[in-house]
Amino acid sequence: MSSSNLFKATVNEYLEGLPQPVQSKLYEAPATCLAIFRLLTPMAKFYIMTMLFNDRPVALRDLDRWCKPHAKKLQFDSLKRLTSLHLIEEDRGGNHIRLNPTFRQNFRNCLTGSQQSNAFGNLCTTTDKHRVDISFLDNFASSKWETILHFMVGTEATATPTTSVLSLLKSGGLMEGPGNSPQNLKITNTGFQFLLQDVNAQIWTLLLQYLNLTQELHMDPVDVLNFIFVLGSLELGKSYLVSSLSATQVSMLADLRDYGLVYQRTDSSGRFYPTRLATTLTSDSAALKTPSMAIEQALGASDGGEEQQIDTPTGNQGTVIIETNFKLYAYTNSPLEIAILNLFVHLKSRFTNMVCGQITRESIRSALYNGITADQIIKFLETHAHPQMKLLAKEKLDKKIEFDTSHNINTAGGAPQSKVSGEGNVAQHKLEILPPTVVDQIKLWQLELDRIQTFDGYLFKDFSNQQEFDTLSNYASEVGVLVWSDKIKKKFFVTAEGMTQVAEFANRKFQRNRQ
Amino acid sequence: MSYRRPGGINYAELDQGNYSDDDSFEDEPQSRSKDDDYSYGTRNPKKKSSNASASSKKRKAEQSIETIRAEVNDTVYSDDDLVELTPDIPSDYVPDAVSKVFGKSDYSYLKLKPDHFSRPIWMSPDGRIILESFSPLAEQAQDFLITIAEPISRPSHIHEYRLTPYSLYAAVSVGLETDDIISVLSRLSKVPVAEKVVEFIKSATISYGKVKLVLKHNRYFVESTQADILQMLLKDEVIGPLRIQSSENTVTSNGLVKSAAPTKGDMVIPGTKKNNESDEKKKDTEDIYASVVGSRNDEDDYDVDAVHSFEIANESVEIVKRRCQDIDYPVLEEYDFRNDARNPDLEIDLKPSTQIRPYQEKSLSKMFGNGRARSGIIVLPCGAGKTLVGITAACTIRKSVIVLCTSSVSVMQWRQQFLQWCTIQPENVAVFTSENKEMFTSESGLVVSTYSMVANTRNRSHDSQKVMDFLRGREWGFIILDEVHVVPAAMFRRVVTTIAAHAKLGLTATLVREDDKIHDLNFLIGPKLYEANWMDLAQKGHIANVQCAEVWCPMTSEFYQEYLKESARKRMLLYIMNPTKFQACQFLIHYHEKRGDKIIVFSDNVYALQEYALKLGKPFIYGSTPQQERMQILSNFQHNDQINTIFLSKVGDTSIDLPEATCLIQISSHYGSRRQEAQRLGRILRAKRRNDEGFNAFFYSLVSKDTQEMYYSTKRQAFLVDQGYAFKVITHLSGMEQLPDLAYSSPRERRELLQQVLLKNEDAAGLEIGDDVDTNFISNDTRMKLENANASRTTGSLAGLAGGEDMAYIEYSKNKNKELKEHHPLIHQMYYKKQQKK
Repeated sequence: MSSSNLFKATVNEYLEGLPQPVQSKLYEAPATCLAIFRLLTPMAKFYIMTMLFNDRPVALRDLDRWCKPHAKKLQFDSLKRLTSLHLIEEDRGGNHIRLNPTFRQNFRNCLTGSQQSNAFGNLCTTTDKHRVDISFLDNFASSKWETILHFMVGTEATATPTTSVLSLLKSGGLMEGPGNSPQNLKITNTGFQFLLQDVNAQIWTLLLQYLNLTQELHMDPVDVLNFIFVLGSLELGKSYLVSSLSATQVSMLADLRDYGLVYQRTDSSGRFYPTRLATTLTSDSAALKTPSMAIEQALGASDGGEEQQIDTPTGNQGTVIIETNFKLYAYTNSPLEIAILNLFVHLKSRFTNMVCGQITRESIRSALYNGITADQIIKFLETHAHPQMKLLAKEKLDKKIEFDTSHNINTAGGAPQSKVSGEGNVAQHKLEILPPTVVDQIKLWQLELDRIQTFDGYLFKDFSNQQEFDTLSNYASEVGVLVWSDKIKKKFFVTAEGMTQVAEFANRKFQRNRQ
Repeated sequence: MSYRRPGGINYAELDQGNYSDDDSFEDEPQSRSKDDDYSYGTRNPKKKSSNASASSKKRKAEQSIETIRAEVNDTVYSDDDLVELTPDIPSDYVPDAVSKVFGKSDYSYLKLKPDHFSRPIWMSPDGRIILESFSPLAEQAQDFLITIAEPISRPSHIHEYRLTPYSLYAAVSVGLETDDIISVLSRLSKVPVAEKVVEFIKSATISYGKVKLVLKHNRYFVESTQADILQMLLKDEVIGPLRIQSSENTVTSNGLVKSAAPTKGDMVIPGTKKNNESDEKKKDTEDIYASVVGSRNDEDDYDVDAVHSFEIANESVEIVKRRCQDIDYPVLEEYDFRNDARNPDLEIDLKPSTQIRPYQEKSLSKMFGNGRARSGIIVLPCGAGKTLVGITAACTIRKSVIVLCTSSVSVMQWRQQFLQWCTIQPENVAVFTSENKEMFTSESGLVVSTYSMVANTRNRSHDSQKVMDFLRGREWGFIILDEVHVVPAAMFRRVVTTIAAHAKLGLTATLVREDDKIHDLNFLIGPKLYEANWMDLAQKGHIANVQCAEVWCPMTSEFYQEYLKESARKRMLLYIMNPTKFQACQFLIHYHEKRGDKIIVFSDNVYALQEYALKLGKPFIYGSTPQQERMQILSNFQHNDQINTIFLSKVGDTSIDLPEATCLIQISSHYGSRRQEAQRLGRILRAKRRNDEGFNAFFYSLVSKDTQEMYYSTKRQAFLVDQGYAFKVITHLSGMEQLPDLAYSSPRERRELLQQVLLKNEDAAGLEIGDDVDTNFISNDTRMKLENANASRTTGSLAGLAGGEDMAYIEYSKNKNKELKEHHPLIHQMYYKKQQKK
């Protein structure tokens, strides 16, 4: 699962966990409706869109016909999600579903543009004496955000974030330590894992934590959430009126400023600017330029120095060389990056501009135990690969392709083997920036840990005949809750969540049979 | 223009940008680099034209020198400053948050030089050197580092080296001076060289290589450039009395003989004459190097104008050597073969068609650097032409030669190679093995033998005693020691003392041993003179490109159950005989035979070897296979397109030369031996059949999952992985289940196999005892112990013991060896003729 899906999942989970009255209140704000819609899976979006302008309830049977039989698992998932968000409601008979009327109304308004004028924030129409441009905002955002990250890894030279940020880090379990002094705080495993995520996911993690905190302070979660969602639909580089915000929201401004989500020149200033961190909150992170990346590009453009890049790659892009003997060399002096590397690399020695280390089974395992996945590590190494690695990979690829075309064969298969990742049959040359052996090995180390998996669930046994077993186990595998089955012994095992569904299906099916 | 000894480079002029081609003829002798080996008489007529093409390159080189000089040479520090400016951790250094991760290895207090990006290495205070292989200066830096340091890992981007006393000893022995080493290092390094390192280099080089033992005019001289060291030796209670007062030469006041230092002069290493054009190119880069690192190390050789020496008697050589080592002044042995009149010359020269490769030349230039033959070890990967290096060295020295190798098969191969590459007459080549004991009759010649024949202390037959007397009674100009890494120190000592040879050359592919005995070689033979970079050679197409893979074969549940119950030795048998492994082996053989590969399957375990080979119907060779049958199988493998797979036991690890093999499958191996892995890989490095892009040779190591084998396997690969090889892990062979006639595919067959394995004596799990390199050198007693089967208790049902359990004598698997033998010579001949016509 890519990290963009990851943060969506966590946000959705939070929303699903809210009590129904809160949810209904949320749907009164058009901006929130739009944001929630954006966070849904494609299948769920499809359901919403088809039902949005259809005033009559839809029969459950019809829903089944909307998607192909093999997608039943997806359908099941998205319906479950929609139900727990209370976006769809079943009628009394249980045969029809319809959209939540509040949501329908507001989402319609939002799409047709007939919402209230201030639903997406009030633009400042007057010109600002202290106008700021987008690059200033980017700088502001990244410096704020990186202050937090640097504090987490314990960089000494950086400023300590405000107490509100500190308490957030602490309550989120990202850092821990006795007392309230910031010096005592130490990063936790969750914190390390947090560091490896991309910026968007990190922000959401903090915001969700913030939401929890606001509830303790008896702030209205609906107000808070609405404001966060409104931020996601504001326009970068424009300023908005503080006066149109509710009291709760005004009090939030100071906190959001600490995170770098909004820029407000002074506390009393009548306007605020959303930063890139805020405006991309609900969009896919693929479209997102992280602030540091943006700065990177800006720097690169002004320098225009390509030859410099080879020896002294600046910033945090393209610094890591990993060799086939699992040794890792990173051109960096940033404690932040070194700390991140230290999560899964056995670091050995350090020079002013370079650290060397070794990837070992133990170092990877300790990272895996901390909840970092092999894919995260590989992704990290790939995105941070040194230009020389990319150069070599490119050369190799070109050579292979040239060889294949000149000999009219496909050597991509090479020796008879199946890749660990298990691709299709037609082998194709890919750009392999990291040594494939290292990638495979990291994955294998993860598999090693996954050899025994435990599932909570229920065992179905004692079927009276084979056909009964087949129908039920087939159904269970179709909806994706089947964990294990044995045809001969006529037993199968389903996950805990799938239990009710399979049981219901069984009741329906076999009662009918008996009748 | 001041006088300079030929061979020296006028760096001052080069530095001033004096590259003009116009006065090249006047300048040529002066500006010739040391590796430039053409003789005076045969100056290359092509010179002019090649200069024209080279001139543009020179311009480029000139420019780059200028840029580099602008950046590198004009630093604010002078080198002396650097040395002083690096105390240990400076007081103002504040460790940051992550420093504690590195502990003592946090060297971030070493300030980068302002122009660090144009320098290729980091010199760490603990003696490790990290090199950016993509730096423009990397190639020159590599040349330098390989001389002074031990390579640790050399994959594609970043290389690591380590300074060790031995490597510095080697550096000194090829003529580098302490100050050169330090100054070049600090010029190449991005960070200042730490005081500790400087001290280490000084302490390691101060005594090493200062004293040379030279054999001149058949008299032994102890030689040194520093008279005070010799004075010190003369005052030594052991060495002092051993001196012989020389009557001739100019004896200076201090009682020492003073003479001119040796130079390479007009000595020519044969086979290198035609390489001038490449030299020309090489020189350009060397120029850059020279201007960056300043004086190239060898120049200083010639600044030392005179050497001092005193003579010792032949008998006392051994005592002096030992004493020198005791007092930490180990002697270097050099052989001034050009001035050796007493030993008759051997008529031997490389054939005109024989060409040697650049790296072979480089390794030889280290050996003959000053016109004398240095003793030492040359490390080249298998298949990179070690034999040719040995032969060329023999052709350079042109005295009687003795070659020692590990097995009788390789004896024959050496002999054949000598006849193939050089002009030596067959009657001057003698072979001394258990079967062959003829010696040459002329006054000089070549003898090829094995270590065990020469070092044997047991009773000898009359014939071999006669030969030994012959070997012992003569003075040999040169001894080539093949595969030096396998021979134990004790045996070496015996060989070295038995045979009086002036120069010793050790050849090996892997200077690693699991015990740390490798450093004994340093003093028994000499320092490591050269070590080639495997990946580099593969990239340049000198050795094959190999795709390495580790195939994980899951243990079947029955086998694993037994595995967990059994003793350590029996476990080994179980994981080797794992049916999944057998299937994987069968599948890979099938797959590669279809591709047209020639396959070697290696198994250390003889029982498994036979089982596998018989079941699959392939010929096999192990210790007890008679010589005749071995040769037959090998030649069939080479020429018969029906025989594409052979099974070899440990006897095939080294020296069996099978250039046809392109695929290697390893089913069992000697625990965690890194050397064996490298040697085996060497078997397919010669494969150049499809030397295009992409991989052209395959190396599979079959490993039973979840067993000790996994652990050993990782250990074994360490050496190759550090050389830059990547082992791909294959967890599943796709299509294996679909293979027709897949062995052990039914549970019943697997159970039968398990029964069979369990009934086997524990000794079947043992490694082969026989004619091979490792076990050849064990003492007689241990051999007896190993060979005597111990009685052991096994569990089995009564029926099983009575033969009632699937036990019946039916020959399912026919021995392919026998089929091969049964060819009538005539049919044989006709068959192969037909084959060739095709």
